[in-house]
Amino acid sequence: MLDVSRALTEYGGPWDTRLAAHLLRRAGFGGSQAEIAAVADAGMQASVARLMHPLPDALPVAPDGDISFAPGPPVDPLQRRNAIIRTQLWWLNRCLHSMSPLQERMVYFWSNHFTSGINQKGITPQMMVDQYTLFRRFALGDYAQLTHEVSRDPAMLHYLDGIANRAQHPNENYARELMELFTMGVGNYSEEDVRQAARAFTGNTVDRSTGLYAYNPRWHDDGIKTFLGQTGPFTGDAVVDIIMQQPVTARFMARKFLRAFVYDDPEPELIDALAATFRASGYNTGRAMGVLLRSNVFYSQRAYRALVKSPLEVAIGAMKMLGANEVGVRTLGALGVMGQIPMQPPNVAGWPGGSLWLNTGTYLARLTYLRKLVMFKPAAQSSVAMMAMNANMPSGMDPQIYASPASHLGSPEMWVAGAVQNDPVSVGERIVDTVVQGDATSQQSNDILHYLSTDGVGNRVALSGENFEEKVRGGVSLAMALPAYQLA
Amino acid sequence: MGNRRQFLQQSVGAFAGFLAIDSIFGRAARAASAITTPGSAGVRTLVVVNLQGGNDGLNTLVPYGDPSYYRVRPTINVPAGEVLRIDSELGLNPNLAGLKALYDAHRVAILQGVHYPNPNLSHFRSTEIWQTAAPERIIETGWAGRYLDTAGLPKSDLFKGLAIGPILPKMLVADATDVPTVEGFRMGTFGGTRSEQAHADQILNGSGTSYPFQSPYLSLVQEVEHDANASANALPHLVAGYKPAIQYPTTPFAQGLNLAAAVIAAGVGTKVIYVSLGSFDTHTGQRGTQDRLLQQFGDGMKAFYDDLAAHGLDGDVMTMTFSEFGRRVEENANRGTDHGTAAPMFVIGGGARGGVYGDHPSLTDLDFGNLKWHTDFRSVYATVLQRWLGVAPEPVLGASFDTLNFA
Repeated sequence: MLDVSRALTEYGGPWDTRLAAHLLRRAGFGGSQAEIAAVADAGMQASVARLMHPLPDALPVAPDGDISFAPGPPVDPLQRRNAIIRTQLWWLNRCLHSMSPLQERMVYFWSNHFTSGINQKGITPQMMVDQYTLFRRFALGDYAQLTHEVSRDPAMLHYLDGIANRAQHPNENYARELMELFTMGVGNYSEEDVRQAARAFTGNTVDRSTGLYAYNPRWHDDGIKTFLGQTGPFTGDAVVDIIMQQPVTARFMARKFLRAFVYDDPEPELIDALAATFRASGYNTGRAMGVLLRSNVFYSQRAYRALVKSPLEVAIGAMKMLGANEVGVRTLGALGVMGQIPMQPPNVAGWPGGSLWLNTGTYLARLTYLRKLVMFKPAAQSSVAMMAMNANMPSGMDPQIYASPASHLGSPEMWVAGAVQNDPVSVGERIVDTVVQGDATSQQSNDILHYLSTDGVGNRVALSGENFEEKVRGGVSLAMALPAYQLA
Repeated sequence: MGNRRQFLQQSVGAFAGFLAIDSIFGRAARAASAITTPGSAGVRTLVVVNLQGGNDGLNTLVPYGDPSYYRVRPTINVPAGEVLRIDSELGLNPNLAGLKALYDAHRVAILQGVHYPNPNLSHFRSTEIWQTAAPERIIETGWAGRYLDTAGLPKSDLFKGLAIGPILPKMLVADATDVPTVEGFRMGTFGGTRSEQAHADQILNGSGTSYPFQSPYLSLVQEVEHDANASANALPHLVAGYKPAIQYPTTPFAQGLNLAAAVIAAGVGTKVIYVSLGSFDTHTGQRGTQDRLLQQFGDGMKAFYDDLAAHGLDGDVMTMTFSEFGRRVEENANRGTDHGTAAPMFVIGGGARGGVYGDHPSLTDLDFGNLKWHTDFRSVYATVLQRWLGVAPEPVLGASFDTLNFA
């Protein structure tokens, strides 16, 4: 039973590797063995404080290479494809390398809240880059202001038909989703409110030559609107302001934060408590997240491993653990098969997540991908030269990246650092600790130990320089097939 | 390929060695002995096609005889001279030639004016309503999932239901049945060396029960793991003996139907298959998008039934379409249409009685610009459950609905 008076107060219990890994899975995309150890050493307070204060980083602020679409029809499909690939890789590499993982994690959260889709409805890769940059700027910032900004965001104006919304013929798409999915939820407004809000947002558009936001007063309906009981010559900004006056808005967002970061069936009292904090802070996302990441409920047994990892968390988490230094194009394809094309949610409601991530098909796709990643070895120079002949490859891209799930991985020795290399028990324990922080049944640990200490037909073999690398790779991929690995 | 019995015997023979060790193929043997009529094995399958995004009914089944249609659709109408005529009032979109051929062979029932009380114009909620058959409240299981849970089907049948695509649709979410979700003929397997695969089988089949943590998802992950491993091992064998009798179009939709045909022909007791096509959310530039998708739909269905007929199975497979809603009667300024309400459903093959059922909703007597529905989709489900799948509809739908006479 949830004690709501204590749920959001600061956690003061024991701090260990498991909770450190839990924090990094939720407030980032997981961590390497070294990162988890550093968080375990630093303690909860210092680690959360560090996450809450993003540092400037040297990561690219835009994709590498040409992301323009060929001007006007006929569009070159290859150029379009490659521009999208570069843009997706740009973001995934930020998720992999950010020194401020919570910041990039919040970009992911906002991108699945204020959804738009790359390569849909006239959205260009540059618009997606700009939108994700906006999400990064407001990652832990003012949610009300972010909602204002999103209403003028070119990708959003395309995605939800804001560019077709004019006084002469209003288009309700954005107005409806703003209320249904971005701020209040169904049941808190009427169909008439949708129509009135659509009128208020008219005039917002995108300049076709620059792809940037523009306002056209001739398209704006400056008449009187009645929206959520208030009457006036409202603009879109006024509509957002009125939405932010509704208590239900903080509640809607509090539920969403809890479902994304704690567990996906939060108690109503817990939602109310976080909503009160969020509203009192003036919709300061950092304030709500700071309370959440330090709270008793966040470190409770009920929250531990209580969420299903999304494909993105699976892929980036595995690459962090394995020491990958760049995301490869094969990872993009695998993410699609797992059910999550980066920057392209299935619809405006975003990826629903939870149990819907897991079915026989996507589950096998996860196993297949993880195994390929663990087994990946960079190709010899001669093969790289062969790959470079691929005419479809984006110009200037490292052929290794084009043909692989990642450009380069850390060594199997590093994955089991600290283990006694010729001792299968020690190596097996280290693998189960590194991959799932010990969250396996004793039988599962024994299965992995048995694998490490036998050959293909069941005869005992010793771990040696000869089979060490192969056995560690196999053992790690088996550990990634454990149920715990699918859970965040 | 000869008749159904011959086909089954051939395919059973092709992996007889496998049969002995895997109980899921017990169903194939039972099916072979249950043949009652030529061209039918007596095992009925329902294929549900989701035309997702909200398919515009008026440009699918065109009321070309009604002058109001051309008034409300001045730029995106289908000209009367182009429709595939059904009668003096109605015709199919010209891109539905494949479907029209099936209609002319009396294999297509067209049900007009279908929707539900208090229509919801949200894609997500309305899709959920169609998939859960629960307009009044949010529930966690899908109607077909509840059917699979309650129909008394053998627990060992892995492929009782099948979702084709990347995501398990809510329609097939069940309390006690895990429905395989596959995208193609080959599911991934763990692979690796024999030793790795053997140890993976051990782990994936769930070794040990005392986990050092609790999670509401732990049992789900274990179940999916087990079923994924089992169905991945089984699927290649299931479809190994299958050769399509015709060339399917290369669209993902038609390729999905090809896979559906292969699984149906394997005779492993598959009762419900889900396939989707979209997106029909044509707010702008409707004609190009919808025409392309309707062509994929019509050509896909034609190929599917030609293939099933060649395998003697067309009498065993009924297909039912749905879409979360039709679209606004009046076109918008972007040569598109906004979210609406009632639309036609198609029921194809199996026990469907060809023809048009119900009146076309009025284009002038509207409900806030939307068509007035007259047939509750749960009556269509009730009919399919009772007359095609042979179960009482009430336990699945939670209430009693009139059945219709299209089947």
